[in-house]
Amino acid sequence: MSAHAHPKPIGGKLLDPTMKVLLGLFGLAVLIMIYRFAAGVGPVSNMTDGYAWGIWEPINVVVFTGIGAGAYSVGLLCYLLNKGRYHPFVRPAVLVGAVAYSLGGSSILIALGRYWNAYLLAAVPIWNLNSVLLEVAVCVISYVLVLWVEVLPAVLEGAAESKSPAFARLGRIWGPRLSKAMPFVIALAVLLPTMHQSSLGGLMLIATTKVDPLWHTWALPMLALISCLSMGYGAVVVLTNLLNFTWKAKVDQELFADMSKVNGGLLFLFAGLRVVDIVAQGKLHYLARLDHHLFFFLLEMALFLVPAFQFFSPRVRRNRGRLFGAALMSIAAGALWRVDTYLTCFNAGEGWQYFPSVGETLITIGMAAVGVAVFLLVSRLFPVVVVEDAHGHSHVGAGEVRPAVSR
Amino acid sequence: MRISRRSLLKGAAAAGAAGAVTALAGKAEASEHEPKHRPDAVGMLYDSTLCVGCRACVTKCKEANQLPVDASAMQGTEKPVYDAPNDLNGQTKNIIKVFKDGERFAFMKQQCMHCVDPSCVSVCMMGALHKEGEGTRTIAGETKGTGIVAYDKATCVGCRYCQIACAFNVPKFEWLEPLPRIVKCELCRHRADKTKQGPLAVANPACCEVCPREAVIYGKREELLAIARRRLAADPKRYNGKIYGEKDGGGTQVLYLAAAGIGFHDLGLPDLPETSAASFSEHVSHTPYLHGITPLVLYGTAAFVIHRNKQKEETAERHEEGK
Repeated sequence: MSAHAHPKPIGGKLLDPTMKVLLGLFGLAVLIMIYRFAAGVGPVSNMTDGYAWGIWEPINVVVFTGIGAGAYSVGLLCYLLNKGRYHPFVRPAVLVGAVAYSLGGSSILIALGRYWNAYLLAAVPIWNLNSVLLEVAVCVISYVLVLWVEVLPAVLEGAAESKSPAFARLGRIWGPRLSKAMPFVIALAVLLPTMHQSSLGGLMLIATTKVDPLWHTWALPMLALISCLSMGYGAVVVLTNLLNFTWKAKVDQELFADMSKVNGGLLFLFAGLRVVDIVAQGKLHYLARLDHHLFFFLLEMALFLVPAFQFFSPRVRRNRGRLFGAALMSIAAGALWRVDTYLTCFNAGEGWQYFPSVGETLITIGMAAVGVAVFLLVSRLFPVVVVEDAHGHSHVGAGEVRPAVSR
Repeated sequence: MRISRRSLLKGAAAAGAAGAVTALAGKAEASEHEPKHRPDAVGMLYDSTLCVGCRACVTKCKEANQLPVDASAMQGTEKPVYDAPNDLNGQTKNIIKVFKDGERFAFMKQQCMHCVDPSCVSVCMMGALHKEGEGTRTIAGETKGTGIVAYDKATCVGCRYCQIACAFNVPKFEWLEPLPRIVKCELCRHRADKTKQGPLAVANPACCEVCPREAVIYGKREELLAIARRRLAADPKRYNGKIYGEKDGGGTQVLYLAAAGIGFHDLGLPDLPETSAASFSEHVSHTPYLHGITPLVLYGTAAFVIHRNKQKEETAERHEEGK
């Protein structure tokens, strides 16, 4: 098929200045983490009993995994709907997903007060199946494994072309074996995100008195699911464009534009559902409050609706910069809605205030930085990114990108 | 296109594995919210009109639970020497507050409400917070049916979801500890005297024992409800006419009476509907799972479609090569 392009290891110097900055930021975060484990969560964060999750849960978990949902949303298009033309997006999206979800998972370990008990999550008989957080935890951990298995074909392909005979044999034997099992792995990659992404909205169902009425609704799980798909599509467009600036990754504007129509539809669906829900539940009067609730509600609506209209405008669809901007907005829309629900428009009661501390923020930044670093490292070593110009790049593993199922 | 029998079998095997997990999810729904009736549930009745704010209960609670003193309400004074917490916190399980509004004023006691259907228990991942003697584990020494919301640090991971969930902001976290715990009132179940009969055999709240005015009393929830109703009937002008906790938020095992002209909202108790937040959250979360059928069907369909697409693709490629 003509749409099948060639991903290549980017190669190049591993420890370039970008990498040094990223690792520096991560190093700083590690120092703060060490202090956190020695002194407790209190001294490094501004979290209180009223704002018990601070920014770590809303941003490191809920937003990071939203961005990582590109693997899920593109996977749905490619594998379930069999739109083979989107295959060039799959490997980068899966890698971003694997990295983002791993970070979400490990960030939680830092936030957990009694992290040493976390191994008990494996004790199935004591699971409380009413706990939405348990569903999220178990499902996210399983999905991290699934995502890294999905990354494996690229690694094995790289290994098969390796100069070392042992690696080459490993790649040649296990590549085809994995390929046979792939449909059943990918089916998990469809099921698990559907479950835990809706649960990430469902987590806040219990906080009936704390999440602002404009945000608290029975539809939270559905909204979270729609928003992750939209963030995912946005993230793929943004990522591929960024990779084009740096590594001349292949950019197929028409493909972006077509995929963004799906995204536009999702954004309309989300905004429509929210408004209908607010009207149906008789909550319109909450919009009469002239405070931060109104401001964030309007900002959210703008962030959802502006890119939604843009994605259907031929002028934007033709222009790479404009489409990039719209995609960025669609990520911001989902991210803002998530942060509002968990933090900005969450209020435990009178007297509670919260603004993230420097330590908390640096840990969040450090985690994001190490994520980018891992992405760069893997893309340099293994065939993940489809590049425009094959010349001058390593030809290691320059096989066709096929659906992962046929790898 | 044809599907080989082997591939069908493979699909069935994978679906079976997923089924084992989702069957568990289905079980949760089955156990969902038959209204739990606990005739032996114990609790407390706090009558704000009787409380004189002496705070003997605060001190006794610290002593009974071996909690450190907390002078946070004395910040700025020359030498903070008294135990003076300004709110429930990691060192304080019980507190007396005062509500003042011009002429009106009233005392208020805060501690765990021991909800009939507690949010914290609903959200706790591995049952660290659980109704005594209930939940997924059997813990030695726990009495079934008391309805006391007990804490077991052995399975607590410190995720603090209970703090997000509790409408009363009761569970507190030890923010300054490297090895922290969740701190909250457990109705002094460790002070139970097994040689006694009735409620004292399962718990013995220090605050109730020490209260000089019997403003807070301990007993079976049903009996406390009857007492509260009798007080309202005997002197209707004295009270605001409502028993907080009878139905609020699905009911609580700690009940409140307040003076006429004082709303429970003024005292810091949230306005809650009669259905518990736990039943709302569990209902919305479980329903789409259809007892575990949905994930099974979704996985099966996805595996089938993806597998079929792969075979289509391979057949197409073989045709291309053949040309």
